Amino acid sequence: MSVEQKVKEIVVDQLGISADEVKPEAKFVEDLGADSLDLTELIMAMEEEFDIEIDDEKAQELLTIQAVVDFIKANQ
Amino acid sequence: MDFPELRFKDLVARVPIIQGGMGVGISLSGLSSAVANQGGIGVISAAMIGMEEPDIAKNPEEANIRALQKEIAKAREMTSGILGVNIMVALSNFAELVKTSIRERMDIIFAGAGLPFDLPQYQTPESRTKLVPIISSARAARVMCKKWLSRFNYLPDGFVVEGPLAGGHLGFKKEQLENPEFKLENLVQEVVAEVRPFEDEHGQAIPVIAAGGIYSGEDICRFLRLGASGVQLGTRFVATHECDADMAFKQSFIDCTEEDLMIIKSPVGMPGRAMRNQFLEDVEKGGKKPFKCLYHCIVTCDYKQSPYCIASALANAKKGRMHKGFVFAGQTAHRIQEIMSVKELIESLRQEYAQACS
Ligand SMILES: Cc1cc2nc3c(=O)[nH]c(=O)nc-3n(C[C@H](O)[C@H](O)[C@H](O)COP(=O)(O)O)c2cc1C
Repeated sequence: MSVEQKVKEIVVDQLGISADEVKPEAKFVEDLGADSLDLTELIMAMEEEFDIEIDDEKAQELLTIQAVVDFIKANQ
Repeated sequence: MDFPELRFKDLVARVPIIQGGMGVGISLSGLSSAVANQGGIGVISAAMIGMEEPDIAKNPEEANIRALQKEIAKAREMTSGILGVNIMVALSNFAELVKTSIRERMDIIFAGAGLPFDLPQYQTPESRTKLVPIISSARAARVMCKKWLSRFNYLPDGFVVEGPLAGGHLGFKKEQLENPEFKLENLVQEVVAEVRPFEDEHGQAIPVIAAGGIYSGEDICRFLRLGASGVQLGTRFVATHECDADMAFKQSFIDCTEEDLMIIKSPVGMPGRAMRNQFLEDVEKGGKKPFKCLYHCIVTCDYKQSPYCIASALANAKKGRMHKGFVFAGQTAHRIQEIMSVKELIESLRQEYAQACS
């Protein structure tokens, strides 16, 4: 499965939304209704799935699905 | 039946009652040591604790740390019981206050008003300070456990679960406050269930402490039966001789009626439960109290938009200058009828508990 697909799957699972809402440019908070706890859980799930570390400051910058995908690809 | 013990690992309180940290300056060495002397857990509030230091406006960081050290030393002189510090996560000098508390070997740090994701970072190998987040949902409990485990391999030493009836800043949206789904009875049971798998997996107990609206020994019995290991009380401890606030502050609790209790939109960005007075009515009508932000005490404070400085308002109330400030209070404040000693309060709670829980 590609990074895109895997990230999408995690987002759908964590936020309990349907897959067609998950566009690359979708913003977690504004478009997908995530709160700060959701964001923390999302980041943790990404860390686990891709075996990477995302520090808290970096996490603040990962506002969209695309940003997460790019970060993972650059750090894998 | 007498009170059960409250245990955080090697730390054992004879009385399962924590006196909640109350800022600004409401729970300092006087109140906390009195509670610790009765076998409960006394808590010093670190929020703007340096308000009486001469250089607080010029040098807030240093003044706050110095004042915290002094207050800890004073409390230690008055008790050998269990003492904690309450440090709001949103305080701009959170990290320094935590480090100081650990260096001073405080027994417990309670951290609320935000989730203390990086708290274990400040632990030292020889430290025995327990780290207890204050939360308002089972979800927060789960995320805290997971995050601390993955980042620090550290499980919280306990949780205080604060429900919608508490005084001070509240971890709920305004509309959740009246929704029965969020009542403390539910939250406590949800958090107890949520932490159980972590306890089982790591062979470590995570005591859950219920807070917000607990008034009598009968209430304590009820919450312990729901699975809580202890309770945290704020409002009741305000109405004690040992409470560190001015008598006018305490008197407002005696005079308070149910209608006086209101939810404010605090400048720090959370709702808060407070007692209506002229100051808050002026603010409600759009009145502004001109001020310059001197302390930059709260990271999330929108001080440019705020009609007043909350640190100054709370510090004024503590000193009994009610016209220049206001009082935070829990929903049970209207039931307070007299000021008593901490010893009398704990004894009456013990008797009520024994009756209810036998
Ligand atoms: C006057 C006052 C000040 C408070 N200040 C703080 C504070 O600085 N930090 C904090 O975490 N909780 C604060 N609280 C909450 C208490 O620690 C406690 O959890 C709460 O009051 C429990 O609810 P109760 O008042 O119904 O017993 C405050 C409460 C009151 C009444």
